[in-house]
Amino acid sequence: MHPATHPTSAPDGRTYRTPLLRRRLLRGLLAAVVALPLVGAAAACGDDGASDGKTKISIFWWGGDARAQLTAQALELYTKKNPDVTFETTWQANQGYFDKLATLTAGGNPPDIFQIDDNFLAEYAARNVTLDLKKYQDAGDLDTTKFPPSLLQYGVVDGKLAGLAAGENTQGLVYNKTLLTKNGLPEPTTGMSWEEHIAWAEQVSKKAGVPGTQDPSADYKAFWVWLRQQGKDLYAGSDLGFTVEDVTKWFELWKGARDSGATPTPDVIHEGNATDITKQLVVTGKSATSWVWVNQMPELKKNTSDELGVIAYPGDPSAQWARASMYWSVFRGSKNADLAVDVINFLANDPEAVKLLGTDRGLPSNMDLRRVVSDDTTDPAMKQSIEVENKLAETFGESPQVPIKGHSKVRAELTKAAENAQYGRATPAEAAAQFVEACKAAIAS
Amino acid sequence: MALTTAPDPTRRGTGSVRPPATRRGTGRIRHAEGLAGYVFLSPWLIGLMGITAIPMLLSLYLSFTNYDILTPWSEVEWVGLANYERMFTSDPSWWHSVRVTLSFALIAVPLKLAAALGVALLLNRAWRGVGLLRGLFYLPSLLGGSVALAIVWVNMFNREGAFNSFLALFGIEGKPWVNDPDWALETLMVLAIWQFGAPMVIFLAGLKQVPTELYEAASVDGAGKFRKFVNVTLPMLSPVIFFNLVLETINGFQGFTAAFVLSNGTGGPVDSTLMYTLNLYITGFTDLEMGYASAMAWVFLIAIALITVVFFSTGRFWVHYSDGEDR
Repeated sequence: MHPATHPTSAPDGRTYRTPLLRRRLLRGLLAAVVALPLVGAAAACGDDGASDGKTKISIFWWGGDARAQLTAQALELYTKKNPDVTFETTWQANQGYFDKLATLTAGGNPPDIFQIDDNFLAEYAARNVTLDLKKYQDAGDLDTTKFPPSLLQYGVVDGKLAGLAAGENTQGLVYNKTLLTKNGLPEPTTGMSWEEHIAWAEQVSKKAGVPGTQDPSADYKAFWVWLRQQGKDLYAGSDLGFTVEDVTKWFELWKGARDSGATPTPDVIHEGNATDITKQLVVTGKSATSWVWVNQMPELKKNTSDELGVIAYPGDPSAQWARASMYWSVFRGSKNADLAVDVINFLANDPEAVKLLGTDRGLPSNMDLRRVVSDDTTDPAMKQSIEVENKLAETFGESPQVPIKGHSKVRAELTKAAENAQYGRATPAEAAAQFVEACKAAIAS
Repeated sequence: MALTTAPDPTRRGTGSVRPPATRRGTGRIRHAEGLAGYVFLSPWLIGLMGITAIPMLLSLYLSFTNYDILTPWSEVEWVGLANYERMFTSDPSWWHSVRVTLSFALIAVPLKLAAALGVALLLNRAWRGVGLLRGLFYLPSLLGGSVALAIVWVNMFNREGAFNSFLALFGIEGKPWVNDPDWALETLMVLAIWQFGAPMVIFLAGLKQVPTELYEAASVDGAGKFRKFVNVTLPMLSPVIFFNLVLETINGFQGFTAAFVLSNGTGGPVDSTLMYTLNLYITGFTDLEMGYASAMAWVFLIAIALITVVFFSTGRFWVHYSDGEDR
């Protein structure tokens, strides 16, 4: 790199004791510094595994240990049938999942297949991160013939099939059966109006000494069902599907419930507003009901020794729909897109794989296999949630559009506004106005 | 490094005093030596450039764009000052987070320093076992920004928490502190104040440096304990107070972990714990508005720099350096 430096040319006769050794050492170090990233790059290339004729598909999801085991088994099955394909699986808890997915995407290195939900599907689809699966569907490489049409439709964003439903769920009102029986109280039923539900909850509070129902005014999925029953929707095109008046009515409904003692105090409501399953009031014993998704029943059951029941949210149950609990999406820039699509096709339609996966991600999307799985299952909580959902499926209404860009902010703003009203820091009308204004800003940007 | 006394030009990187005649030859050696220097520096240098400097500059660029993480860099649009404009004119939650952070820092930092100084004064004696006590008081700050600690805090200060059980002993009915928008931030302040160990240790070291003859002289002049504290301890300690104040203020503004854990990453209840950094995080990673979040980060950086400048420029009025002249 440098012309040889003659040692004697050093000033004041000073010489290096071992110039050659030094220089060699120096060069060695330099080489090491330069080479290190290369080694890393070489290792990274090795990941593609192109050399041994095998393809490695990366797949990323959120969930717990149980899901990880089931998914790994299903993927092993795929490898067994297609020995040339192996998987690089990554999974983690829901908290932080989307941060990581976004970061991976930003780094230009997202997984070939990733799990996503309706909170983010539109965000990713609108920015062309997801592969449009329509082409594969048309070519018959992705079999959706056994899917309920509304469930499939709930993965369509701007005319593109952005995600394939990995499971189906719907809103479920979970109540503590043991508590009700002990106090000689009636169980709530599907079809009760919101007013009836609140009156029932008031009665529970009085007799059982436990607040009858969690106040769901901060919960977008409850608000959504209620809106649909009023002939409105959460979104209409790229705009909001409701007005300040609607929100005011919604907040006032629950103010009445709080005033009559049907709900817990605001701080407890706030605890229950966390999305964490273990914090749902029905399992922490701080309320007789919680507003959740039907497929969360088995998970809730693990956190309480009480018996739980589940029904639809109050009002007309046809406001509920076959919601994709989560989707599988394929990265648009994936080098192995065709294979990746084949894998999600396998996860949705292979009888053995679907049996393995069970209802962990919601009811299987393939209706034929759903029947098989529900006949086979032995877990009582799972059986219960399947039965309820199958019954609700008879009355399901049409799917709404997938939530638009800015939805996560809208959810956060609803929680903020509702809690403002709950803590008595704003009237329902003030909170509603604040919410709508914040939403408009959120979806505009 | 600068203290090396031997003028050995071949071993010093900067050798501008060398005679011109030998420059060419030494130049090569210097080159090699300089290169060696960089090679040995490289682990740190690569870290600084790759992890700090370059990303910082990129974020400065991003702050003028509408970057949203998911869109490729090539499609990012330059929006000029729009992000900054939005922050100051049409983002109530930004202003809210500024207020939350300011009130947190203005209350928690002085109280933390007062607690640290108070305990340091108590522990600055030659009791037996005082070392153990110092260790115990220092312990909480070892746990620093730990998530576990924040979780413990949440459980201590909720409705059924240990703190309310303690209050119940005196017949006082507690509040759901962490779940009450009027008290959640205060709970975080108490957590921050409780971790006063680090400044305490520095205060202790400073107290040991105060010459005892000053106290003796003060005693001779008839000064009581309070006068001695005000007229001897405080002035002698002022450089240490200044150091702690600057450091803790910067720390206070950057509080994140506890607020994140306490509110499940939302800044709730009702945005009462929406610290600036938490708001920045939510904006960047949940709302995916990374360009706007970058602008927020730069405003934050400049604000902290300004505050530090204010500290340094007012320091000369009250910070006393004991080497005879005030700097």
